[in-house]
Amino acid sequence: MMTFTSAPGGPRALTLLAGLVLAAVFAQPAPAATADEVEARLNALSAQVAELQAELAELKAQQQVAAATPATENASASDTVFTAGAAPSKQVEWFGYGELNYSRPNSNSANTTADVGRFVLGASYRFDEKTRFVSELEIEHAVSSAADPGEVAVEQAYIERRLGDSIYTKMGLFLIPVGMLNENHEPTRYYGVFRNFVDTAIIPTTWREGGFAVRGDTSGGLRWDVGISTGFDLSKWDATVGAGLEKPLGSIHQELARARANDLSSFGALNYTGVPGLRLGASVFTGEASQGQPGFGNNRITLWEGHARWNPGNWDLSALYARGHISNTRPINLKLLGNPTLIPESFFGGYAEAAYRATLPNAWTLAPFARYERFNTASGYASLGAGLTPDPLDDETVLAAGANLEIAPGVVVKLDYLRFDRDAGNDRFDLGVGYQF
Amino acid sequence: MSLWQSVAVVTAAALPAPFAVAATYLTTDGAQRALFPEAQSFDDLKLAPSAAQQRSILEAAGLQAPHGALRAWTARRAAAVVGYVFVDEVVGRQDFITYAVGIDSAGKLRPVEILEYRESHGGEIRNKRWLQQFNGRGDLGQLRFRTDIKNIAGATLSSEHVTAGVRRILVLWETLVKPGAALAAGR
Repeated sequence: MMTFTSAPGGPRALTLLAGLVLAAVFAQPAPAATADEVEARLNALSAQVAELQAELAELKAQQQVAAATPATENASASDTVFTAGAAPSKQVEWFGYGELNYSRPNSNSANTTADVGRFVLGASYRFDEKTRFVSELEIEHAVSSAADPGEVAVEQAYIERRLGDSIYTKMGLFLIPVGMLNENHEPTRYYGVFRNFVDTAIIPTTWREGGFAVRGDTSGGLRWDVGISTGFDLSKWDATVGAGLEKPLGSIHQELARARANDLSSFGALNYTGVPGLRLGASVFTGEASQGQPGFGNNRITLWEGHARWNPGNWDLSALYARGHISNTRPINLKLLGNPTLIPESFFGGYAEAAYRATLPNAWTLAPFARYERFNTASGYASLGAGLTPDPLDDETVLAAGANLEIAPGVVVKLDYLRFDRDAGNDRFDLGVGYQF
Repeated sequence: MSLWQSVAVVTAAALPAPFAVAATYLTTDGAQRALFPEAQSFDDLKLAPSAAQQRSILEAAGLQAPHGALRAWTARRAAAVVGYVFVDEVVGRQDFITYAVGIDSAGKLRPVEILEYRESHGGEIRNKRWLQQFNGRGDLGQLRFRTDIKNIAGATLSSEHVTAGVRRILVLWETLVKPGAALAAGR
């Protein structure tokens, strides 16, 4: 807290200075005063002004020192006991994460790939005690050029302003508080080489939008989030390719890249962590996605989910269920008839996962895990009439098993095997390394 | 939803905010009194571990996230020492968390107090029941992250770094302050 003990001199000096200037401007020289006398007076005044300027500069410097002093009102000077590892209060903070992976399909080894899946650098900057900037810049698949598969993306860029103790506002491009992975998507934070299917095919992780959001925490362990933001653009749906059936929302998200913003969306989330080791949460995101484009109208997209995580002892148990809906797809699909990929009306997915975190004698952590996922990216279509309505897809079931080995805080080596029920040809073995700093 | 409908929804949802804002966070003085309400005075405690002591403390306490300033006070009632207060800063996800640790004269921890949490991510660490977990513990073997002190899913880094910080303070206390410990220069 800035103290004002050094400040009173400031206003007083200003008043004096103003008085002197006024006096200099308005004072009528005595009729008898000679030019020499006037000059002498002016010189004296200039000297006084210079003196006051020096005094002011000194006071300003004192105030700056007071403002820079750590925010403690206790009289004792801040003291750092440890010299090793001590860091000064800082403004710019660099961080990053990334993942490299190798993936080998069981039945078609010709499709084996190795990739720098993600390389992310982030920076945050503190403007003052309450105002920060947070950003992440991501390169996917190593090389981005016209001839390469990579892409470069600004994944987050927002200003965060704290109001009071535990209310925060965000403005800019930020992550949507949905599920458990979207806001904690670093490779050290999830099991398995790749992010799970529900969190990528149904929830379009890493899902970010541009807008305004408010977050609060209570001391009872309840976190709430609300906000308005950009949303989806249904006119981006490409009926000629299959991407929409892999990730219905992922194929029409906008990522604030010249996003159509005629229609805004709103979202809200509640997370309860009041019992140590337990997290329960739910969220909803909803908004119009026609964006005023010709041929589109009343196309509300709503995605809701619920999730739970429990850490009894060394166990890490979690589950999530998510469901999405797109309204009024019928008139659009009627125009798209004949194309391979019409717009589904509903899609859903859920998973349950169990991991056991064992600490090895050398302080590494070995976490074997298993995950069961069931999802469907097109579980229902709006009726187009007999013979015209596409058949919903069958649910896909994926069983994943593997292990994360943490060889240092922030460094994880992973392997897993995935078994697909519907598309058995996708069964695969993955190996990866991830880091976060 | 139109823009104005959206604005109305968000405004309505944010309305309880002033009530939460009114719950001011703890000052250093407030934390001292919250940790040791029975104390009458808090005197500066100067700690100056040697380089060798610093190394051995960090080795025993385990891996640490970057720390900021650490300050300490002796809590007294009349002439009797009732405990010690430490105010430390440790990085949560990206920014410093300021927290206070109380160790009573018997070497037992009081519940940790959060003085300031500066970033929106990981603010769940303010949860009283999570902080209460530290109460009464007085041994590193009772301060193992995840096993003794539960993780907060969604605030893993903050909960882990504060736990490690409390371990460091406890070893510092055992090394320099605990009755019978080697006296620190300038104490």
